[in-house]
Order: sequence, then structure tokens, then C-alpha cells
Amino acid sequence: MSTSPLLGSIHTDLNKEILDGKAKLRKWLNMNFRIEMTDGRILIGVFLCTDRDANVILGACSEYLKSSEGETEEPRVLGLVMVPGRHIVSIQIDDTTPPQKYYYEE
Amino acid sequence: MGDNDDYYDGDGAMDSLGAAPEVTYNWVDITPDFFKHIQDLQLGELLHDGHLFGLFEAMSAIEMMDPKMDAGMLCNRGSPKPLNFQQAIAAGKLKIDDLEPSELIGIIDATIACIVSWLEGHSLAQTVFTNLYLHQPHLIVNRTLKAYCIAVYKLLDSVRECINKAQVFEEEDFQPMGYGYRLGSNPQSGNMYDASLEVSEQKCISLLREQEEELNKKARSVDDDVSNLWSALAARIRFTRMFYQALLLITKRDSQSGADCVALLNGCSEMMKVIIKTAGKGTQPVENSDSPNPMGFEPMINQRLLPPTFPRYTRIKPRAEALQYFDELVARLRHAWKITSCTNFHTALDFFMEFSRQRACILSRSALQLLYLSPSPATTASLAQGVGSPPHHAFLEILRDSVKSFVNPPALTSKSSLLSTPQAREFVENFLARCVRPFAVLLQVCGHNRARQRDKLALLLDEFAALQEEAESVDAVVSGVAGGGARACFGTWLLYHVLRVMIAYLLSGLELELYSIHEYHYIFWYLYEFLYGWLVSALGRAEGLAGEGARRGDAKRSGARKQKKRTRPYAREGLMCQVMQNMCGGYYKALVAFKLQGKIKQPQSEFDNEAVRYKHRFAPLSVLTPPQVHYHEFCEMTQPLQYENPVILYLGGCKHFQQARTLLETITIPDQEVTDLLKVSKTNFVVLKLLAGGHKRDSSAPPEFDFSVHRHFPIIKLV
Repeated sequence: MSTSPLLGSIHTDLNKEILDGKAKLRKWLNMNFRIEMTDGRILIGVFLCTDRDANVILGACSEYLKSSEGETEEPRVLGLVMVPGRHIVSIQIDDTTPPQKYYYEE
Repeated sequence: MGDNDDYYDGDGAMDSLGAAPEVTYNWVDITPDFFKHIQDLQLGELLHDGHLFGLFEAMSAIEMMDPKMDAGMLCNRGSPKPLNFQQAIAAGKLKIDDLEPSELIGIIDATIACIVSWLEGHSLAQTVFTNLYLHQPHLIVNRTLKAYCIAVYKLLDSVRECINKAQVFEEEDFQPMGYGYRLGSNPQSGNMYDASLEVSEQKCISLLREQEEELNKKARSVDDDVSNLWSALAARIRFTRMFYQALLLITKRDSQSGADCVALLNGCSEMMKVIIKTAGKGTQPVENSDSPNPMGFEPMINQRLLPPTFPRYTRIKPRAEALQYFDELVARLRHAWKITSCTNFHTALDFFMEFSRQRACILSRSALQLLYLSPSPATTASLAQGVGSPPHHAFLEILRDSVKSFVNPPALTSKSSLLSTPQAREFVENFLARCVRPFAVLLQVCGHNRARQRDKLALLLDEFAALQEEAESVDAVVSGVAGGGARACFGTWLLYHVLRVMIAYLLSGLELELYSIHEYHYIFWYLYEFLYGWLVSALGRAEGLAGEGARRGDAKRSGARKQKKRTRPYAREGLMCQVMQNMCGGYYKALVAFKLQGKIKQPQSEFDNEAVRYKHRFAPLSVLTPPQVHYHEFCEMTQPLQYENPVILYLGGCKHFQQARTLLETITIPDQEVTDLLKVSKTNFVVLKLLAGGHKRDSSAPPEFDFSVHRHFPIIKLV
């Protein structure tokens, strides 16, 4: 994990405490996000857009149900979704993929 | 549509996802950072990649946790996971054997309610296929229920086939998608389709028949009170069988089946009476429960099959209303059957329009289409459009007869073959062949729901415009050959239909409440001054031409004088046109007077341009003969009225309504339409008389237009 250049850069940025959070948000654009919602569902999709209220738009998004018995259920493909900030419990970012380009499909 | 797989696009995306190589993620939590960083954004500022993603794209995102957009939300709301067929049996919640008759009645009635909800435009996944028994009908041990469940599958197929063939539905009317459910396959358990589980139509009918007999036997063997239940159940099975058979006959439409179909539908009506009477005998849904029956239904079972933005949870129609719906549906089908005795195209077209006016359901509208033309007007239209020589269709003969009986052109009377050249005959044949498509589409349009008809009529007017040019040249060629001056036979016939479509188009705007009150005056003016007047004269001309043709025939045969005996076939239609014309005139004059007295609220002049609105309202009428009357002509023609005394105008309007009333009262056998119009014209006569007398002269309160009695002609109310 620590070998990833991307996450390293995030951490150094954080350490520097640059005032402009926008720049950091911008770095996360087009990367995979995993968002847990207040009702327990997990959404995985490409981070495309956000605003001051943490409303997040994810592209090519799939919905996973949180399975209590560990059985993985088929995801449900949702496409482009907007998650209201007030329903976000946690956000995780995917560290494995190199910063590849995702293009938003027309 | 037998092949449900066509509609499988719903979860195609899932398959491809499952097949993709396993992706591994390495998730790192950024929640606190994220929520900290967003505070640097301004209120309303969007952080996004400006090149790839903008506000426009953002608008099309579905909003999670919004009950209207997020279909996945409800199924996770704390409730336990819905049980599928096997799980429900294992949990002892689903009986497949030893069912009480009351339980069977409950299941059947709830299924009927689901079918009705489907016919009202909801998806199968959220209605009929919430019934778990339908997921594995072949595993049901109880033979009555098994036969019924198999029959429901067959019934759904035939309903869908009927509606698909007729092609008179839009997305708001009907959802044909099957979500992978068909007899022999079940998407819940991921079953692949097993053709050996299919049941033929005949087999299905005989299964039902067997059950009917068995249930009747049981009904006879036990004492009164309980026997009621068995016979109630028998009635339900019998209804299902007869309804299915009738629908098959309607969809297949072979001419020998006529009497059978009527008998079957009559039987359905009788059975439905019994079903409605015994509706209370079955198990009833638990109060405040979403499930239409305590056993066998899982409203959420298919939630994950639905597309992401699917409409919220479907409320199943209450049982009593659903049974009522089916009762009326059978009555409508019986009525639709009467189209088969309409030999004349004009009467058939009137029948279609009248049927549509009653706002019939999608299944009966579709059935009407199939009953008139086999396979359907939609198919006829698309075949006629195909390249190459159009197939010689029965509909062409129907149109030929229609022209013949309407204007009786010499070119179509067999006797006059000496008068026509091969060239003229070819012209006529080509013209009739070209008519097939627009006229078939006209019938199809009449089958659509009322709101959709308007746009489709406008499109149709374009096609008629092209046809009118052709009619003119045919008339010219045919009269040239026959000699003795031009007779616009084909032109008149076509003009009559064009005018009717134009009128229907303008009137539909009133019915759909598209016009503002300050626009009414030119709508009614156009109808009053032109369209109805032209229609009356087209009818007159047709009578003249037809009479001429008949004299020609008579003279040839015996020279006997038969003219006096000839009744005027369009007398009633002509009379109704005059009634409508007078009523429109009445509204028009009243509206101008209202305007002069400042009783009608006008739009703010800086935001308003009457010329633009006028042009827009009459745009579809612009390409045809008779030529459109333009706005500047409207202004010129109506100029003098602007200086008229409102009292004179009220009196003029009054006279129009009086005239309409007098004409209506000459009709000896008034139907509902006539009675309604009579009521409207009487009331408006009185209202305008009061206004002319100075009633509420100084009040600027706007008059109200009440369309509750008649959809096009309102009652004027002063408040």
C-alpha cells in the first residue's frame, strides 16, 4: 500500500497542509470511489463531481448489498448516480489502479 | 409476442459484469479528508473535470435515497429479505397442497387484481410475478392451482400478443417486458428456459376444463354453505378458460369463429357476476399490507430485476375495483365485436372514433383493431409502405367500396368500363393503393389513447396532403376520359376525411385543455367559419355526385324514376355538422363580447404575440387543401366585430345556440351525444340571453367554461 506513488503523494500533500482542498479533491477525480450509504448499501463508481454539501456524483456505478452472512450478491448496475452528502457514511478510494483515464460516456 | 427473451435487456448488463475478470480493489478510507476538503468549495460551486463532465451530465444522474428514483432503496428498508418459491415452501409460508377453497379463491382474486394493475401500465415484475406460485407452476401439487397458474402464463402471452399486434400503445399504456419469466423459465432461480415445460393452447384449455368438471362435482357433493365455495372456485376457473379462448379467437381472427367468440364473452360476463358476488369468500389481504393476499405474494421479490430508475413501488389495484374492471373489460370486448358487422368504412371509422371517446382500456382498444382488419391496421400500414408492388389487400377493397358508396364515381362503376381507358384505370388503382397506408394509420390513431391522438393526427395530415395532390390528378384524368366536365369524385371523398381529421385535431386541444381561454375565440372562429361549413358542403357535393352516379345507373337499367325514394344517407351527419357549426358560432360571438367587456384575462402584451400563437395552433393545417386561413386574414375578417355592441354579439350567440337546439330536437332517436349537446346548447342559450339583458354587465369576473357535460363544448358559467 505504501508503495503506491499516488497515495504517497496524497499523504505528503496532507502533511503540507495546503490550504486549498480543492486541489486535492481534483486529484481524486476520475478515480474509483466506494461509498457506504446510511441504509447500508455500498456504491462503487468513478468519482466525477462533488460540491460543498458533499453531494457526490459517481459514474458507471454499481450497487452492492451489504451481506451479513458473507455471501456476495450480484451487483446491480445503476450507471450515473448522485449520492446526497447527508446519506454518505464513509468514502474510500481505490489505491490499486494507476491513475488511468476514465472517460465519461456520452 | 411469444419470445420473452427479446425483452431481456433489463439485466443484460449484469451478465457482462459477472463475466468480466475479477477486479481487486485496495480501499483506503478518506472520509474525514473528503469532508474537510469540500469546505473549501463555495456554496453552489461544483468540483468536476470541466472537459469530461459538466452540469448538463450531472442533471441526468439518478438520485440515491430518493424514493421516487431509487428502486433499490425500498427493498433494503429493514424488512427481511423476500423469500423465493422454494424458501417460502421450506419456511412453511407457502402451501402447494391441501389448500382450502377460500385460500384458492383469495389467490385467484389477488392474481386478477395483479393482472388488472399490469393492464393499467405497470410492469409484470411488480404485479403478476409477485405471485410466487407463478415462479414454479409445475411444482404445485394442488391441481386446480397448477392449472390456473399455467393458464395465467398463457393468458399473459395472448394479451401481450393482442396488444403487440395492434400497436396502439405507448409506454404509459402498457409494459410488454416479461423480465425473463415464461413458462419453463424463472429468472429468480436463474433457470434456463426448458421447452419441455411449455403447455400448448389446447392442453391448457383441457386442463382448465378438467378442473371445472371436478370442482362442479365437488360443489354438488357437499352441503349448501360449503358448496358455495366450490362453485365459486369453479366459476373462476371457467371464467379464466373462456376469457383465454375468446382472446385467442380475437387475436387469431378467423371468420368462422364469430358466434363462438360472442358466446364465450357472454359466458365470461355471466361468470364475472358470480365472481363478484363471491369475492368475499376468499382470503382477504391483511389491512395495511402491501401484499394483495396473505399467502403467495411477495411484492418485493423482483425488485432487483428492475432497471435502476424504475418507478416506485406499484400499488396493486384493490380487488373489488379489479373485478369491476374485468367485468367492464368483457363488456367492452363484446361491444368491440360489433365492428365485425360494420361493412362500410365510414360506419367503421365512426365506430372507432366513438369507441375511443369512451376511453377504453388498452386491451379492448387493441382487440378492436384486430377485429376490424386482420392482422391489424398497423401491419396493413407498414406493409403498404414496403417497397415494390404493395400486396393486394382486403383493405384496398374496403376503401374502394367506401369511395363507391360515398361519391359513386363513374370510374368505379363496373358498367362504365367502356368509358375508361386502361390508363385511367391504372391511375385509379394506384391512387387507391396509395390510400391504404394513411387510412390504415387513421384507424390505428383512433386506437391510441386520447392524449396521444393529437400529435399523430397532425402527422397524418401531412400524408393526406400528398394524397390530395394525387386525387386531383386522378380526377382530372378520369373526367378527361369520361368527358362531360370535371367531377372531383376522389377529391371530394378525400376532402371529407381531411376535414374530419382537421376538426378532430382542433377539438382535441379543447378536450386536452391545451388552449387558454383567451385563445378560444379563434379556435371556435375557425371551426365555425370554415371547417364545419366546408364539411357540410363536402357532404352536399358527395350526395350530388352519388345521385348523379345513381341516375346514370338507373337510366341504363330501366329509366325508372327512383330518385324520390333515395334517402339522403348523410342527412344526420350533415345535420350534426350544422349543430356543431352553430355551437362554435355561439361560443365565438360570446367570446368576442366577453373580450370587449374586459371579462377575459389577456396575457401581458409584452410577453404575448397572438400571431405567433395563432400560427402555432393551426400549423398542422397549413399544408393542405383547403388552404389554411392565415392570421392576417383572421384579423381582417374579424375586424368589424371589434366595434360591435356586446349586446348584439350576445344576441347573435344566443341565436346560434337556439338554432343548434332546434336542429338537435329534430333528431328522433337521440343518443348520449345528442342529449349532451342539447343540454349544453339549452344552458348556453339562457346564459347568453341573460348577458344580453345586461346581467353582470359591470362585473369583470371571468366566465367559467365547464367541460363536464361535453368534452368539446363547454357550458358557460357566470360567477
